[in-house]
Amino acid sequence: MMQYLVILLDDTSVSYCHADNPYSVRRLIGLNDLRAGILFAMKQNLMIQFVYPDYELPQEYLDLIDTIDHHDIKPWYAGASPADVTVFDKSVLAGVSPVNQGVAVLRLTKAELFENVEAIGKILLKMQRLNIVVTDIETITDEELKSYAAVLEGLASVLKDEYLAGRMPQLNLLTDRMMLDRPNHCNAGVENITLAPNGRYYLCPAFYYSNPDDSIDPQDIRNQQLLRLDHAPLCRHCDAYQCRRCIWLNRKTTLEVNTPSREQCIVAHTEREASRQLMAAIREQAVFMPEVEIKELNYNDPFEVRKEW
Amino acid sequence: MSIVRETDTGWQSGMAKSITFIVTKDCQLACKYCYLVGKNVKERMSWETAKAFIDYVLSREDEFREESVVWDFIGGEPFLEIELIDKICDYLKLRMFELNHHWFNSYRFSFSTNGINYHTPDVQAFIKKNREHLSIGITIDGTEKKHDLNRVWKQAKADENGIIHPSERGSYKDVVRNIPLWLEQFPNAGTKVTISSADIPYITESVLHLYSLGIHQVNINVVFEDVWQEGDDLRFEEQLMTLADEIIEHGYYRDYACSFFSEHIGKPMDPERDNQNWCGAGKMLAVDAAGNLYPCTRFAQYSLRSKKALIIGNIRDGINYNLLRPFLTLDRTTQSPQKCLDCEVASGCAWCQGENYDAAQTSTIYERSTAICLMHKARVRANNYYWNKLFRKLELEGRREEYENNKRDVKPEIC
Repeated sequence: MMQYLVILLDDTSVSYCHADNPYSVRRLIGLNDLRAGILFAMKQNLMIQFVYPDYELPQEYLDLIDTIDHHDIKPWYAGASPADVTVFDKSVLAGVSPVNQGVAVLRLTKAELFENVEAIGKILLKMQRLNIVVTDIETITDEELKSYAAVLEGLASVLKDEYLAGRMPQLNLLTDRMMLDRPNHCNAGVENITLAPNGRYYLCPAFYYSNPDDSIDPQDIRNQQLLRLDHAPLCRHCDAYQCRRCIWLNRKTTLEVNTPSREQCIVAHTEREASRQLMAAIREQAVFMPEVEIKELNYNDPFEVRKEW
Repeated sequence: MSIVRETDTGWQSGMAKSITFIVTKDCQLACKYCYLVGKNVKERMSWETAKAFIDYVLSREDEFREESVVWDFIGGEPFLEIELIDKICDYLKLRMFELNHHWFNSYRFSFSTNGINYHTPDVQAFIKKNREHLSIGITIDGTEKKHDLNRVWKQAKADENGIIHPSERGSYKDVVRNIPLWLEQFPNAGTKVTISSADIPYITESVLHLYSLGIHQVNINVVFEDVWQEGDDLRFEEQLMTLADEIIEHGYYRDYACSFFSEHIGKPMDPERDNQNWCGAGKMLAVDAAGNLYPCTRFAQYSLRSKKALIIGNIRDGINYNLLRPFLTLDRTTQSPQKCLDCEVASGCAWCQGENYDAAQTSTIYERSTAICLMHKARVRANNYYWNKLFRKLELEGRREEYENNKRDVKPEIC
């Protein structure tokens, strides 16, 4: 069931997910398109998530945005007003010290992630929740996967100490799998769609970024069933619940929205295993979520065991 | 010439890797129902491309673990490139031997040909040289009238883009003259007949005509494309019932087979137990003149009306296995609409992954085309009629058990 409408307020609105925003020239969404998007959300009973650029919007936009309940997703920059979700990039690793934030997204490349575990650990301590998005994860090699596992191990060590001290910061890569008892997929095209600054609708911002002609009719999404979990032959059997099951990455890497690449699966299973080990490490010293069990698996890619299902 | 060994198109079915060389996109014919919409005279495979592909495949035994291999040659018309094919096959045999490859002595060369060049010295020499490992199917559609309705020669000149177009000249006489030689060399060979809307009135006479030519196995199917007119299903059913009467009345069922009639079709299917994909796309591998690799020839650009070619790699960089994952996880229920899942006569209803892709609303192989729905249901009705009538006749004659013990089992032909 559709629940959210993401509205990109400007072509330079911050990317909060895998795909980089290729636009560098400011272009605000037209006021009429914004008004129509808000009206659409009201009539469809959708919660709006406004995605902001790194500059202050004109007052008429702010007034219009204020006409409806919504969430704000904003880039972090000096002087930025508070947001429901704040998006950071690698500059936060270079000594910029964000104040205590609620929910934050940290977008990094693999290399930036591998080289900055300690700094990320410190940032994690300042947040209620940190979502790390690795922007080039689809190219991860088997060798890099070992580095990724080492990063998770390092961050798990930070989290273990926090949890044993009674604090419970959330890190999507490690704590989601412990907390979830069902998949927490992005569900673009099923639970959310995106209105772009050109006034057209897309399955998610990434589809707009990669091809503006790839728009959809929000009232009639073609082959929408293929976006659902029950039409994803690999994912519907998978219990790496923290995986976002990004349909844009799926299509980019396998040409099908319902099929993940090997890289996505092995990354998700590395996170799942790190979560399992974190849980075990905490349990060595305290009673912790005794009702939850994460089983040990003998594979890293569900594709390898598809014939057993 | 001695009789060539039994040719069973289902050879090592399920255990064999099918690897297809698209040696040319040219053909002497320009059949009106041909799904190859982009046939042309320009794209001919070079020896360098073929050799590089062979070297790629044979050097990766760990990736190609199937017990056996069918080296398939397709066009256009493959025998237009008999010189290249001969060189390819010699090289394959040599390299499989030199590498002590597990496919050595577990391989076949397979051809689907229009039969026009079958008698030529080069083709005959090739057959003689490779007779122990050869399957050849000649396509003949039935009577001269039915055959020439679609299977016509191309125009003498291709257009400015190299694309070939149909003429008015039928090819029946040029093909039928080679049938006796073919059957002498491959006595158990079958032919493949394709039915489009305009062919429906000629089905009965065509199948009987093929029987009269000595062809015992007629593999026949309706095209998957959305070409059907209102009332075609009823006309189709009527033709099949007439054919059923003829087969039963004249006793053809004893020694001849027509794939339209099968005891295996027309049953409901269990969503879990019967959930396998029909099509073998993705388990197969095809290469074209440019050295591009495909999950099946139907995904090459010359086969597609409205979608881009689905290329899974090339002979230089190899296969991108991420692009094969959707094919290898495809199942029946995920790609089928609800009406197919609920269908009471679903078994035997086929699909082609390439046509599904070409006809889909979005760029996906996961949207099953249902253009043949009414035709399948008509086939099932006629099929039920056939078996009820045949079994009753056999019962009355006291020969049911004898028939059951000796019948030719025609299983649905899976791509």
